[in-house]
Amino acid sequence: MEQSLALSFNLMMQTCGYLVVAYLLSRTKLFLPFMRVTVRLPHRIAAYVVFSLFCIMGTYLGLEIDESIANTRAIGAVLGGMLGGPVVGFFVGLTGGLHRYWIGGPTALACTVSTIAEGLIGGFFHLWFTRHGRIVKVFDPFTVALGTFCAEVVQMIILLLMVKPFAAATHLVGQIAAPMLIANTLGAGLFMSILLDRREALEKQSSVFSAKALKIAARAEGALRGGLDRTAAGRVARIIYEETGVGAVAISDREKLLAFIGVGDDHHVVGMPISSRQTLEAMEKNVVLYADGNEVDYQCSIDPHCPLGAALVMPLLGEEERVIGAIKLYEPKTRLFSTINRTLGEGIARLLSAQILAGRYEAQKQLLTQSELKLLQAQVNPHFLFNTLNTLAAVVPKDPDRARQLVQHLAVFFRKNLKRPSQEVTLEDEIDHVQAYLEIEKARFAGNLDVIIDIPPEFAEVRLPAFSLQPIVENAIKHGTSQLIGKGEIHITATRVDDDLVIDVADNAGLHEGGERPVGDDGGLGMKLVARRLETRFGPPYGVSVRCERDVATHVSLRVPLEMREMRAA
Amino acid sequence: MRVLIIDDEPPAREELRRLLGAYEDIEILGECANAVEGIAAVNRLSPDALFLDIHMPRISGLEMLSMLDPDRRPQVVFLTAHDEHALEAFAESAFDYLLKPVDPERIDKTIRRLRAAHAPSPALFEPARPLTSIPCSGQNRVYLVKLADIEFVVSRSSGIFVVTGAGQERFTELTLKTIEERTPLTRCHRQVLVNPEAIREIVFQESGAAEIVTNAGARVPVSRRHLALLKERLSIA
Repeated sequence: MEQSLALSFNLMMQTCGYLVVAYLLSRTKLFLPFMRVTVRLPHRIAAYVVFSLFCIMGTYLGLEIDESIANTRAIGAVLGGMLGGPVVGFFVGLTGGLHRYWIGGPTALACTVSTIAEGLIGGFFHLWFTRHGRIVKVFDPFTVALGTFCAEVVQMIILLLMVKPFAAATHLVGQIAAPMLIANTLGAGLFMSILLDRREALEKQSSVFSAKALKIAARAEGALRGGLDRTAAGRVARIIYEETGVGAVAISDREKLLAFIGVGDDHHVVGMPISSRQTLEAMEKNVVLYADGNEVDYQCSIDPHCPLGAALVMPLLGEEERVIGAIKLYEPKTRLFSTINRTLGEGIARLLSAQILAGRYEAQKQLLTQSELKLLQAQVNPHFLFNTLNTLAAVVPKDPDRARQLVQHLAVFFRKNLKRPSQEVTLEDEIDHVQAYLEIEKARFAGNLDVIIDIPPEFAEVRLPAFSLQPIVENAIKHGTSQLIGKGEIHITATRVDDDLVIDVADNAGLHEGGERPVGDDGGLGMKLVARRLETRFGPPYGVSVRCERDVATHVSLRVPLEMREMRAA
Repeated sequence: MRVLIIDDEPPAREELRRLLGAYEDIEILGECANAVEGIAAVNRLSPDALFLDIHMPRISGLEMLSMLDPDRRPQVVFLTAHDEHALEAFAESAFDYLLKPVDPERIDKTIRRLRAAHAPSPALFEPARPLTSIPCSGQNRVYLVKLADIEFVVSRSSGIFVVTGAGQERFTELTLKTIEERTPLTRCHRQVLVNPEAIREIVFQESGAAEIVTNAGARVPVSRRHLALLKERLSIA
């Protein structure tokens, strides 16, 4: 009994050595495939090789007793089977067993057979849990311990059956059964928990990383859309500082510091020109620079007593990959730069660069719409003005009062026209604009144009971008009714559809998509611009739609929300 | 001098009528509100001069000019509120052009030039553009029938009719002569122009005349006199 106890203890010590190797190996990439159950052949082969080696190592780290060896070979065989399946288990057992056979001794054959059996037992555990959809159980140290215990029991039975004479077998088993059962069971369980710990550590690290990255991305969303200025830079620096927990964060454009938060803000003053060698170099060469204060010397260029000891400098990119500034993360001399923050920092720089670019693009798009609109107004008005003056010239001698009225309408029209297209107005305002316009056109086409405006008064206060309705009505006359030989009719109605307002402008010409005479016309540019403005302002499903019944009617519908929401792009 | 005013805006016509009223030697034959009415009036009244607005429904003043019967071309004075059309107007051999609102002094100059000018030189009209469609009048609107859709054009006692492959017949103010000169349609009979693209077969008759069967199956007469020309045109021996 005493001897058995001593043997158990010794074998446990050997197992410790074995586990140290397992621990060290678990830190390498070699073990990554075993963290998951896999069916891929390369992973299975890897499992076979690794666990075969453990199996053999188990033999060498055994204790010799009466020409046989008390060993921890079972751990490798059972784990190989558990993690890799019966096939892997069989081959691991076979390999470990053959190796044992090669060493020799009276129990060599029995040990070979029992090792193969152990591998298969591990494999059957794997199979059983897979079939019952409880594959996670395979990674449970208790399951592994239990499996190994069973395998050891089976081994003892095989030894009893195969070792001759039977007396020798009982003697041997009596000596090694307890130590091997204890050592292998505990060893296998610990081996598995080493693997589990490693997996958890990896997952935790990546989940902490992802969580941080996502949070920064969410908080910084849109912060630099408007470009790189002090306010935006200050906001972004604050977010990065809070989320990463680094010593200090600085953001600069190409010339000067735009924001600085954290340790050393007493002498890193916003607005001062860039003096740091690293920053200038990072921007010059468009590279990420890391000065940790050990391998690469770091010294604050402003104050020699600055507590900051390490810096990560990342360039910010604008259009065409041009460097437009830099972000710097600092840690004080007393702290180490964590790898997470280094990787995170580079990701943030890329994210912000992408934002700046997106912002530029949006601004240019808006600018384009604005200038197109101005162009349109400039283009349309002379035509309209000349036509109106011509009408006036005809009306003045015949009917001075009517002429005075027309001048009045013209004044209203131009006053409304001067409103900036970015302003928002009420539907009533737009109707006034349209009505002034229509009065003049009606005079021009004298009796050949009928207009019915049927808009319920409750919609009068609905707000929409200025200059939305008049271009549509102008279109209906220019490309619609004015192309008719007979009487033209324009119908303007408004109806509620769900929470939206649909304003419909219909003519009785039905010439849209006619395409018969695009010559010299502006091809409905005005309408296209209105559509684009409504779309960019409200997003889908808002905008302009056209429905044309050939030679009968063209309907152009504006869809706007009844309650004007916050402007999206503001 | 007999003149016609063609403008789609009633106030503009009134204004012009008022201005021209100051000249005793000018007789205003009528006013037209669009190009189709204009073509009809020119064919009917043979005016000496047109005061023609450029911007009109479907067919502009410029386009209308190329649709006029070459035998009855009056002097043309264009009117426009926008001077961007001026150069194009002169390329189309306008006699003059006026900017609206019309300056009385400027129109005075135009009238003096009209008085001085004799009959328009036909050569001036030669580079007129070929037509790609024929304007036809309908209820309340003008249809521009594309040449490719036309099988033949026939002159009847009630007027000139354009017949399409779909079997539609539409009335046009254009004369056969104008259409013959300005389009690839070919004369096959004193009263008929046929679209060569629409000919499926030509059935020769004992009398020496023939009959064309169009793609749509319509039968079009070919007179003896025009058969030779038609064969030559279609390169048939």
